[in-house]
Amino acid sequence: MDSRDSSSSLVPNRDGTAGDDDGVLSVTAALAKDAALYFQSRKLAECVDVLTELKTKKEGDPKVLHNIAIAEFLRDGCSDPKKMLEVLNNIKRSEELAHASEEQVESGSDVGNKVTSGSKESSSTTRQVSASHSASTIYTAEFDTSVISLNIAVIWFHLHEYAKALSVLEPLYKNIEPVDETTALHICLLLLDVLLASCDASKSADVFNYLEKAFGVGNVSQGDNGNILLQQSTNLVGKLSSVPSSSLVSDVSTPELAASVKASENPLSRTLSEDPLDEMFSTLDIAGQNLSRSADLTSPKELPRTTVDRSIFGVDLKLKLQLYKVRFLLLTRNIKLAKREVKHATNIARGRESSTALLLKAQLEYARGNHRKAIKLLMASTNMTDAAISSMFNNNLGCIFYKLGKYHTSAVFFSKALSNCSSLQKKKPLKLFTFSQDKSLHITYNCGLQYLACGKPIIAARCFQKASLIFYKRPLLWLRLAECCLMAVEKGLVEGSRPPSNRSEIRVDVIGKGRWRKLLIDDGISRSRLVDSVGKDDWTLGGDQEPKLSLPLARQCLYNALHLLNCSDSSHLKSLLPSNSSLEENESCDGASSKNPNHKSLVGIDSKPSTLSIGLVNSNGDLKEPKTGTNQEMIHNSVAYFADICRKENQMMKQALLANLAYIELELENPLKALSAARSLLELPGCSRIYIFLGHVYAAEALCLLNKPKEAAEHLSIYLSGPNKVESPFSQEDCEQWLVEKPIDCEEPNGGGAAATAAKNPSPEGTQEFMFLKPEEACGTLYANLAALYATQGELDRAHQFTTQALSLLPNSTEATMTAIYIDLVLGKSQEALSKLKHCSHVRFLSSNLQSNKSS
Amino acid sequence: MGKKMLNFEEQCKILNLLKSSSEQKSIEEMLTEFFTNPKLRHFNVCYSLSLLLQDKMMLSSTERLVAFAILHRSYSSQKSAANPFISFLVNAACDEGAENYERAFILHLLGFGNSNSSKEFLKQSASEYIKKFDPSSQTFPQKEQLQKQYLEKAHPEPYACLLKSTAVKNVLADPDVPPGCDANSAEFDLEPGAKSKLGSGDRDEALSGLIANLSLEGLIPHWIRPLPPRFPVDEELVWLNPDNNHELQWDQGMCADTSRGAAVRDLIAKALRGPLAPNQQEQVLVELANDPKLVYHCGLTPRKLPELVESNPLIAVDVLIKLINSPEIAEYFTVLVNMDMSLHSMEVVNRLTTAVELPKEFVRTYITNCISSCENIKDKYMQNRLVRLVCVFLQSLIRNRIIDVKDLFIEVQAFCIEFSRIREAAGLFRLLKTLE
Repeated sequence: MDSRDSSSSLVPNRDGTAGDDDGVLSVTAALAKDAALYFQSRKLAECVDVLTELKTKKEGDPKVLHNIAIAEFLRDGCSDPKKMLEVLNNIKRSEELAHASEEQVESGSDVGNKVTSGSKESSSTTRQVSASHSASTIYTAEFDTSVISLNIAVIWFHLHEYAKALSVLEPLYKNIEPVDETTALHICLLLLDVLLASCDASKSADVFNYLEKAFGVGNVSQGDNGNILLQQSTNLVGKLSSVPSSSLVSDVSTPELAASVKASENPLSRTLSEDPLDEMFSTLDIAGQNLSRSADLTSPKELPRTTVDRSIFGVDLKLKLQLYKVRFLLLTRNIKLAKREVKHATNIARGRESSTALLLKAQLEYARGNHRKAIKLLMASTNMTDAAISSMFNNNLGCIFYKLGKYHTSAVFFSKALSNCSSLQKKKPLKLFTFSQDKSLHITYNCGLQYLACGKPIIAARCFQKASLIFYKRPLLWLRLAECCLMAVEKGLVEGSRPPSNRSEIRVDVIGKGRWRKLLIDDGISRSRLVDSVGKDDWTLGGDQEPKLSLPLARQCLYNALHLLNCSDSSHLKSLLPSNSSLEENESCDGASSKNPNHKSLVGIDSKPSTLSIGLVNSNGDLKEPKTGTNQEMIHNSVAYFADICRKENQMMKQALLANLAYIELELENPLKALSAARSLLELPGCSRIYIFLGHVYAAEALCLLNKPKEAAEHLSIYLSGPNKVESPFSQEDCEQWLVEKPIDCEEPNGGGAAATAAKNPSPEGTQEFMFLKPEEACGTLYANLAALYATQGELDRAHQFTTQALSLLPNSTEATMTAIYIDLVLGKSQEALSKLKHCSHVRFLSSNLQSNKSS
Repeated sequence: MGKKMLNFEEQCKILNLLKSSSEQKSIEEMLTEFFTNPKLRHFNVCYSLSLLLQDKMMLSSTERLVAFAILHRSYSSQKSAANPFISFLVNAACDEGAENYERAFILHLLGFGNSNSSKEFLKQSASEYIKKFDPSSQTFPQKEQLQKQYLEKAHPEPYACLLKSTAVKNVLADPDVPPGCDANSAEFDLEPGAKSKLGSGDRDEALSGLIANLSLEGLIPHWIRPLPPRFPVDEELVWLNPDNNHELQWDQGMCADTSRGAAVRDLIAKALRGPLAPNQQEQVLVELANDPKLVYHCGLTPRKLPELVESNPLIAVDVLIKLINSPEIAEYFTVLVNMDMSLHSMEVVNRLTTAVELPKEFVRTYITNCISSCENIKDKYMQNRLVRLVCVFLQSLIRNRIIDVKDLFIEVQAFCIEFSRIREAAGLFRLLKTLE
């Protein structure tokens, strides 16, 4: 801090103060250089030794402490990244604390000055202030935590903690101008990875644009001729009279610079002259001359950063950025462009094996629904010796087989992928990269989906619970957990819920014999009371113990999802222009995954030529401008298109969430809450007809439970076309549009869990996916509910008609049968009720002896 | 399945009670015995009994009397209207099809008419009561009268769900007798020791079975509540791609040679206090040019900008151009636009306009400030000087097409007219006219 001493005195004497410290400086500088060399050649033990020596000379220097921490961490095999984070954060905090206290001193002196001087004009005091300021700002200049922050973010990134990495990176990126080039590039690339991993298209587009602007990459080919380009761009810069950059180009720019300095000397010398006006004219004249020159120059905003470390430029960076771009386009589901860009990537790689490029290609085909081709590409890319690669390979195959509707095959691949991951963990020595290569939580999420599809809710929930460690911010995770709960309750796997066989049949206790025989209809559908709260231990984020699935837990999950969805909605609103609210319901479904991707809104992008063409190496600055435009336009359009997709997906998800919520509240006997959920569902813009149907049915039941049969009738009578005729609430097409997944073929026999459904229904495994009412069944449901509604109101004739129609459409419905029996009993037709009971296929007669034995 | 209404203990209790009704025990005795258990759930017990009583065949006459007595006694500590079974009792008392002794018994229970001799009749056994019953001694009141007396004060029906309040009894008689036979005929009763024949059955068995299986809930109309479909899996499966490796970075800034930066910082600090010598100035510009990041570390802050502008406008221009991408640049502009008008500040702005694209708003505000500074200055000499400066500055801006005259036309024209005595203002005015 020698410089500080010098500046705090009003008459700085640089030469004098520098004197003594010079010796120390050179020794430490030499040590630092040695340490850096050791570090680069990964001689970490030696590096730490040198640093320790350095530490004794520069006690408490945060940068020394930082480098020691880094070197030791790598030397010790990266065993405890969490602890490393702690260490780094402590160093950063102590540096910030020191800085903050300095600032306080500064602001303190500030106040004093404002009081005494009052206005800025009083020059003598101002000078005093500036002197004291400069002292603290020099300290500020030493205060640079960009590298340490970057390293903190790097560790979070490897631990898959993208939100945390982002919270460190975003402030860095916001203030990236002062950061040195190499670090800045690292920050941008890491930020891009984090943003892509967290599916943030609009921010990654922003970083793309910045990279392009600041480093001149992305839109111009750096290629093998990077130097040429660099010179070109710096020539460009040099013309700007004052902004040359790297030493490499200083030859070119110095004459210019000197000229500009000389030019500016003129007016300066004249400042001393008597007539200020003369001088003014001269300056203005000069300015006028300058103008003619600078008019055709690009603005400094376009200035490339050119002093970046040579090593990270060149083909590697170019390929890297190209692959980023492909990932970005895949994220935004801009399939066509992704296809083009991935080709360029392979061109850039020039035959060198790039497994990333191949995997991206496979992903592309997967996204297009070309599953066979995707499998082929995966097979070509695999280097089976590498555990990390083979875990990805297996996982991706699992995804493909899932999409093919072969859930059991996909399960095999997912579990293979998981075992690859665990072998990865055992590999020594550990590298930081190993942590990020361990994608077991991602794979576990896929497993969860697969188990859910196979009808195994408890183990699926366990997978989602584990995956929640990284996915807890995704609303979809919580929706899936709620679905696990619902399925578990439905299957009778939950304490207090009935086994599934009891749900779909009427139980009748036969009591007594002969003339005394009585039939006691067990009103099975009225459920035993379910607990209406989530226990403390029922659920923990990422917990290891089995989650206790229940309806209240499902409700909690749905609330989480709704909250997250609303958060993301409001943030989307901020960043996006209001888009037209007219919706085509099926568009998002068609999306990218179906065979003919729906890219209506992308026509503009598609027709544009790719901007990353190889032939640009020798292009001059003039060509750059329109190219940049196209590239940015493409990115911009992709972002807008993706935002639209996201909006639609969120809308769809919201429908599902509210429908599930209404259902659960009805199950938990909270008709008021069920009603409000159903009403919110009906108010959603662009709600699909299936969910509108559910919304009306749930709302009607809730209203009936709240003793408002009239209002309930309004919800149901929407579908009445005649006095007693119900029209179909949705069509088969609606179902198909809503259901994206269509199992393409199925060669496998069903296994265990699905066997029961398969026996009844000869369709493939995929039917598990969409177990919803057919349109005619929905009609039947409406008839049955209208019957129930009118029966409660005492309009038995009407109820009777509806129940007949319901039973003709849903002959196996317990509910409709029960309502029919009810109506008979109220009308006093007990003989008819008896005959209905005896003819219903879903009745189980139980002998009373058995029962009384059981209960005693 | 629906909840059982009675636990095992309660079931036994009821069965024993009913069995003992034919004995010679007094009703009072039986009642006292029955209510000894404090854990008894009165409502459940009474509700089961009321269900059994609804079936005329199920209970014997003595059993019915005892059952009615229980229904009454369970809630006798409260007002009759509070008894949930009061309307059941009243209806039974008015049931013309029922035996008269039964109706009279209920009226007795309710204390109708002869309230003073109320408890006497309970001292006899049920069979005694039936035997001694004299039909002529009892008059039967109208249903309305009873309802008025016992029900009127009843609380309004507590909140009950419509669906549930419309429930019907879920027990159906399904006599298993040969077709054509009367199911109510006693011939089908099982005689002890006799050979069982088709259609015969044991009443006790049926009774205990019923008591064991009765449930609180009756039969209600049923809604179909469709389970919402599972959300489709679209882009949800996680596809894995290799990550880019991000290594931990070495901090190159450790013990770096900061002497050059320090020199610039010193010079900038000096430049705030007064003009630098030409060689010093060149040093600053060269150093700033060599290290594009140095400008961020040279110790300049927006607050110090006015001093730099006044003392060393050229350095200020250079620094500002380099800071153009800095997040702080807006702050610098704000300071610049608000500082006092001077030759140097105008020079800086003028040079900036030619080198970089300045925010339109900034240029506008600056010109407005210039004009108002000219108007407000008191010293005539200084005013003349400043006006001339502003005029030259504006001419330069207009000629170089930095500003669009249309934006400021009226303002500038007014300024020219106000200061038309000054040669440069007249010149500016002429320039404006040519552009019109």
